[in-house]
Amino acid sequence: MRGDWAIFILASIVVGVVVYALILAPLVLWRRRSDELPPQFSVNRRVEIFSVAIPLALIAFLFYVTYTSEVSVDAVAAHPFATVDVTGFRWSWRFEYPGAGIRILGTPGRPPELVLAQNETTRIDLRTDDVNHSFWVSDFLFKRDAVPGIVNRFDLTPVRTGTFRGACTQFCGLEHTLMTFTVRVVPLEAYRRWIASHGKAPV
Amino acid sequence: MMRWLTTTDHKKIGIMYMASTFGFFCIGGLLSMIIRAQLSEPGLSLVSPHAYNQIFTLHGTAMIFLFVAPFGIGLANYLIPLQIGAPDMAFPRLNATSLWLFILGGLTVLSGAAAAGGAAASGWSSYAPLSEIAIATGAGQDLWLIGILMTSVSTILTAVNFIVTVFLYRAPGMTMWRMPIFTWEMVATSLLILMAFPPLAACLCMLLIDRHLGGHFFDPASGGSAVLYMHLFWFFGHPEVYVLILPYFGVITEVVSVFSRKPVFGYVGMVLSAFAIAGLSMGVWAHHMFTTGVVDNPFFAGVSFLIAVPTGIKFFNWAGTMWRGAIQLSTPMLFAIGFMLNFLIGGITGVLLASPPIDYEAHDSYFAVAHFHYVIGGGSLFAIFAALFFWFPKFSGIRLDERLGRAFFYTMFVGFNCTFLPMHFMGLEGMPRRVYTYDAVAHLPILNLISTIGAGIMAIGVLLFIANVVISARKRVPAGDDPWGGYTLEWATTSPPPEFNFTKLPPIRSERPVFDLHHPELTAKAGR
Repeated sequence: MRGDWAIFILASIVVGVVVYALILAPLVLWRRRSDELPPQFSVNRRVEIFSVAIPLALIAFLFYVTYTSEVSVDAVAAHPFATVDVTGFRWSWRFEYPGAGIRILGTPGRPPELVLAQNETTRIDLRTDDVNHSFWVSDFLFKRDAVPGIVNRFDLTPVRTGTFRGACTQFCGLEHTLMTFTVRVVPLEAYRRWIASHGKAPV
Repeated sequence: MMRWLTTTDHKKIGIMYMASTFGFFCIGGLLSMIIRAQLSEPGLSLVSPHAYNQIFTLHGTAMIFLFVAPFGIGLANYLIPLQIGAPDMAFPRLNATSLWLFILGGLTVLSGAAAAGGAAASGWSSYAPLSEIAIATGAGQDLWLIGILMTSVSTILTAVNFIVTVFLYRAPGMTMWRMPIFTWEMVATSLLILMAFPPLAACLCMLLIDRHLGGHFFDPASGGSAVLYMHLFWFFGHPEVYVLILPYFGVITEVVSVFSRKPVFGYVGMVLSAFAIAGLSMGVWAHHMFTTGVVDNPFFAGVSFLIAVPTGIKFFNWAGTMWRGAIQLSTPMLFAIGFMLNFLIGGITGVLLASPPIDYEAHDSYFAVAHFHYVIGGGSLFAIFAALFFWFPKFSGIRLDERLGRAFFYTMFVGFNCTFLPMHFMGLEGMPRRVYTYDAVAHLPILNLISTIGAGIMAIGVLLFIANVVISARKRVPAGDDPWGGYTLEWATTSPPPEFNFTKLPPIRSERPVFDLHHPELTAKAGR
């Protein structure tokens, strides 16, 4: 996904610079200096064909980039390393590790922490207890909505250790702002220790 | 006074439309000042969370439903009959009905602020189940739904009126292919309204049925669907974006052409691109739903990308119109340039958001907030001021002060970019939209402070505009019939025009009849 951002931002800058030049150059070159009428042309088929063809080629390329990336981002592994049930509710999150008997419950203003193993694929089954929510971790460049009546499934495979900020991005009422959480990514060994120490007594 | 309240004259109706939308703009603008004040530092509590949610809901509602879209309708009300050489709209009484239904609808929405529990607080998109009776218990939500329903019926009626007027009331010689681009853009807008607003009205009715008559349209526990609400809302909501911009593409095209002293470059391309945008915009609604995981993302991404092509045509044609022209940077032209510079950024970030893997990060973050403000604020709002400065002499017979006008433009341009450019980075640093505060992490505090300062600069700008209108109205510098050397028929009549618009029409042999009149040496070739 970082690759997509790089390609799109590069394309944006190129398009931006070219079009800005097309808009600003006439302001410098062709200001009104007398009452003489400028040439009254209004058609140039070649320019018009180019003004369709070039954007078309550019978006065809961007669509190719999007399509290939989307397929890999949305793919879910058949045999993930772990599964976590994530449930949004007004206004916090519940993280459940069904295999290990761990249940982490946040409250508004006391955000819960999701623990993931580095370089391992964790499947998230995302649900909501009430209205629409959205599970967003900006550092993972990823979000997915929790929609009433639907279980949304996606994989997270974090490669960097550390603690990352997460938030609900789908407005869900009064304390939507407080519906934050953190994600702590730890090496596999530490993850195993964490599971073992928290497995018995739900936090 | 009674003459204005009971009028069916399209010009008076147009002016009342524009004046009332400007009132709603001021309300929406004041609300945004509260938002920016609250967010100027992390951890502030100038307003309560409940008040904040009402404020951003009403801000979005006022700006979209009660200002940018209906201002275009008011402007078109004033201009379309003049531009096609007609005495009035096809259905003048229906036209008056639309105006009053709109004003009443707007006031109904705002009256929610006085209801127990306050105004609607579920965002301008009013997603169910958040807006269902179980959660949005107050009458504010009902007043919002009923008010928006009234404005949408008003909009549909006006669209019918525009289409009939343009198709049947054109002056002799005014063939379709000689119509001003603004009128063409309004035809595309009207068709779009007829396709997009009935689903909105249905959606609002369904929500009212859910709330008060025991319906379960949007309740999955009883066999309804929360996704259905999103589909219905965005099936309206995305075409609505083009209802908010197509009229202003028309404004910019007229302004750029007149102030470059050249005909519109690629007239046919301009017309076809308007219809291409209108057509494509009916097939992109689910790009607002990429992150739900229940729509065909590649399809909607592809169609959304395609809109960049007709939009690109417009940019190239504006540049082509300015190319080798004789450009005069009067206030309307400055705003047109500002429009292009800002709107381009909004257009480019729109392409980014239309790519699902990018949208997964940017969606519903401040990046998206920045994007749509560049489109609607930096785009439509700037075009509105271009239109006001361009046609104010026609509306009133007096000129607005040029020096104050230019100062106003530069203030707005700096203020706008200062407010909204930082929002892109807030989004990428993890700030969701619709939050009343944020943690003091990364660069969020400084970015938000810059944004708030920018909002203050814009507020000063708007005050400069109001001062300009007041001062100019006192000074009364006569504008004459055609202060800018305009091309289209509204410049062939007096300022302000008489009742029924024309005592005498010039011959119409091209899309620039008034230019032909003033330049008989360049006899227009009757080709189209």
